[in-house]
Amino acid sequence: MLKYSIKRLASSLVTLLIIITVVFVLLRQMPIEGYFDNFEKADAATINAKLEQLGLNDPIPVQLFNFLKNLLQGDLGNSTRYSVGAPIAGIIAKKAPISIKLGVLSMALSLMMGIPLGTAMARGKGKFWDKFGTMFIVFINAVPSAVYYIFIQLYGSTALGISMLFDETNYLTWILPVFSMSLGSTASYAMWLRRYMVDEMNKDYVRLARAKGIAEKKIMTSHVFRNAFVPMIQYIPTSLLYTVCGSIYVESLYSIPGMGGLLVDVIGRQDNTMVQAIVIIYSCIGIVGLLLGDLLMGVIDPRISFVKKEGAR
Amino acid sequence: MQDRETVLSVRDLNVKFSLRGRTLHAIRDVSLDLYKGESLAIVGESGSGKSVFVKTFMGLLDANGWIDSGEIVYKGHDLTKYNTERQWLSVRGKEIAMVLQDPMTSLNPLKTIGAQILEAIELHQGLTGEAAHKEMISTLVDVGITEPERRARQYPHEFSGGMRQRVVIAIAVACRPKILICDEPTTALDVTIQAQILRLIRSLKEKYELTTVYITHDLGVVANVADRIAVMYAGDIVEIGLCEEVFYQPKHPYTWALLSSLPQLGIKGEPLYSIHGTPPNLFNEVKGDAFAPRNPRALKIDFVKRPPYFEVSPTHKARTWLLDPRAPKIDPPEAVQKLSTEGVLGYE
Repeated sequence: MLKYSIKRLASSLVTLLIIITVVFVLLRQMPIEGYFDNFEKADAATINAKLEQLGLNDPIPVQLFNFLKNLLQGDLGNSTRYSVGAPIAGIIAKKAPISIKLGVLSMALSLMMGIPLGTAMARGKGKFWDKFGTMFIVFINAVPSAVYYIFIQLYGSTALGISMLFDETNYLTWILPVFSMSLGSTASYAMWLRRYMVDEMNKDYVRLARAKGIAEKKIMTSHVFRNAFVPMIQYIPTSLLYTVCGSIYVESLYSIPGMGGLLVDVIGRQDNTMVQAIVIIYSCIGIVGLLLGDLLMGVIDPRISFVKKEGAR
Repeated sequence: MQDRETVLSVRDLNVKFSLRGRTLHAIRDVSLDLYKGESLAIVGESGSGKSVFVKTFMGLLDANGWIDSGEIVYKGHDLTKYNTERQWLSVRGKEIAMVLQDPMTSLNPLKTIGAQILEAIELHQGLTGEAAHKEMISTLVDVGITEPERRARQYPHEFSGGMRQRVVIAIAVACRPKILICDEPTTALDVTIQAQILRLIRSLKEKYELTTVYITHDLGVVANVADRIAVMYAGDIVEIGLCEEVFYQPKHPYTWALLSSLPQLGIKGEPLYSIHGTPPNLFNEVKGDAFAPRNPRALKIDFVKRPPYFEVSPTHKARTWLLDPRAPKIDPPEAVQKLSTEGVLGYE
């Protein structure tokens, strides 16, 4: 297990290094306007001086080496246009917490709604909850989220008697964005859980459990649900980590000062250093999520063995 | 045999299934007495209803099946009247336990072997903690698993097929049932393992004074383990009798055909015997003797009227018009006669 973990960690680091290199090299091909807030008015000497100061005249490998050196100290560079001269790490540190809070809450909510829904669907296959759940899943997947987000905002704020916009200090205003964000994952958790549970329910070991006299309820919880949840666990770290990125649409709808939309924003403004930093953060999140998911599976599923067996079976 | 105590008695059982809007009559008027401590084998080809039949003893029919009429009396209760889960939980495991066909899939892959046996022990023997653990280890020893302490902590995928079947048997025995049903217990196993598993079940039967019911299509298995044999065809028991009676003096043409298709009875160089045609479609009402259409020497009446049981001996009866005094004398096929004179069967 330890050996596998170390190997897996090392390969993740290599992947990350490759991503950083590619992103970094690509962004160096961008026009240099992105590093100035007054490019049109500046003369050649000023431009050159600025480029020199930023280290952009060095050969690319040297620049990359310097960037990596700074990265190790947690320095992602400074923003050039979004918020001139401000350290990027600081900008993100200010914006990420609110996205994380909302994201974690919405994920908890979708687990709280999706798991019971999926279980109810699997238990009463073809009955009310199954039909209701299927309708819900189809609706969520077929209707563009923008449509129901707006309805939730309109009717929700009237019903709760609150303002349409988000206010961090008023917890009532957290309800609607969190609820909106949770719907998509609720549908997918319910769908997958139902599917995995139905698969498990038809297996022989469930028949044997029934034949040995275990009550249906207990079979559902200690055999079927437990086994069906294992394949889902793999994806939970990833979806948890992605909450950091925030939801572009919900955040702009409720004017939430979070991470959502930040990448789009800085690409539009050609803030190269920030694009680079954010892309690297996102890929980090993806890689770490997959890594954690795999390791978690290894801990939970005894069939996954990280040791090569001699003469197995 | 006659004075033996009956533990389970089935009377005129009819089981039907609803499939795509049509009704399938899977078990047709079956009656059977199961005697205490005996070992009964139910043989028949796939789809003859043997599995469905025993499932009714435990209320384990699939959701689209139901008992249409008849009764199953166990300890004075009619099991066909059971309709709540609680009633069935008083039977399943506790009174009747089951060993399923495929050991590769009948254990939960995510629970240790020990935990799965403990589940049965805690539920049916009322033991907990240390006592339950001790019982679990001794059950593992009972079924012939070495290093039980270490093996108990392992998961099913760390066991071979034969070993897993031992675990499944351990679970069944740990329920301390009165009746053990083995649904094709050796079909999924290597031939070399089959005899071991059968021997194991037989020794546990003695140790725990079980009544065992084997379901199988392998007559070789039957010859080794059964006191009595019930031959099922198209949802009906067509012949039932002591092992020797069914093997050496079979009366029903279907039993003849079944025995003739034993590879052991084939003559070297000649094609093996096989029964022509397919079993009747149970969606339609069967008229007369269900086997008649596949029986080249069927009588006219076989197509018209369903035969009743004719008693051959107090322990042996068969549902065939051939036993009627008015019937023409038809001799069993050569292979079956050879079997009665030479008696070549079984692994042991």
